[in-house]
Amino acid sequence: MPPKPHRILLERVSVYADEAAAFMRRRRISRRPFARLYYPHGRSADHAQDSGSGAELFVAAGRLIEVAGKKPKG
Amino acid sequence: MTTVVIQEARARVTVGIFADMADASTAAPPSGESAAAALEFLAEMSPDLRGAAILGPAGTVHAASGEEPERWGEDAAALFAAADEAEAAPVEQIHIATEQGEVFAVRNAGLAAVAVTERFALASLLLFDLRSTLRQLASPNFGGSGPPKSRSEDG
Repeated sequence: MPPKPHRILLERVSVYADEAAAFMRRRRISRRPFARLYYPHGRSADHAQDSGSGAELFVAAGRLIEVAGKKPKG
Repeated sequence: MTTVVIQEARARVTVGIFADMADASTAAPPSGESAAAALEFLAEMSPDLRGAAILGPAGTVHAASGEEPERWGEDAAALFAAADEAEAAPVEQIHIATEQGEVFAVRNAGLAAVAVTERFALASLLLFDLRSTLRQLASPNFGGSGPPKSRSEDG
């Protein structure tokens, strides 16, 4: 006996939701800290956290994050 | 792979368009009220925003969220100094993502805007909002009587 059409639809939707959740989970795990600088005319440059310039950028960013504090609730 | 190339080219062209656009002149610095209104509007537009500040050319704090506006000025100046020293060239935008949150900074028309957000904020939208906020603040028509235009209104 073939499954009811609405069950097929529900299963299909839940598969897509699972895929999306897995993608977001992988993204959160795999995304490493980075520092990206943008210059005039569209040029950009990445600086690794362990490089000299990158370390300074991360220290300065850390101070700003400290000043901003946590997001206010509500 | 063709799609990737096209997207890259499109991004490059788009950035080039923005870079070539004439920025509004900063004849007079924005008032504290207009800067505060702009910050408030920015917070409404960006649900991930934790805090932000608008600074003048000399690091003067026009408006800042929280209770330590001076610290925003000092720390933003340190960030821009570190960024400018990285390649010995003045930067236009900064995006730093850390485990604790993300920092965005934009310089435009003699003003600077710095924002701290939750992790995984939508970078392109936030940078666009910061840039358009600065453009509006720098424009002589913006007197602080109303909030800056939203993304949909902004041509």
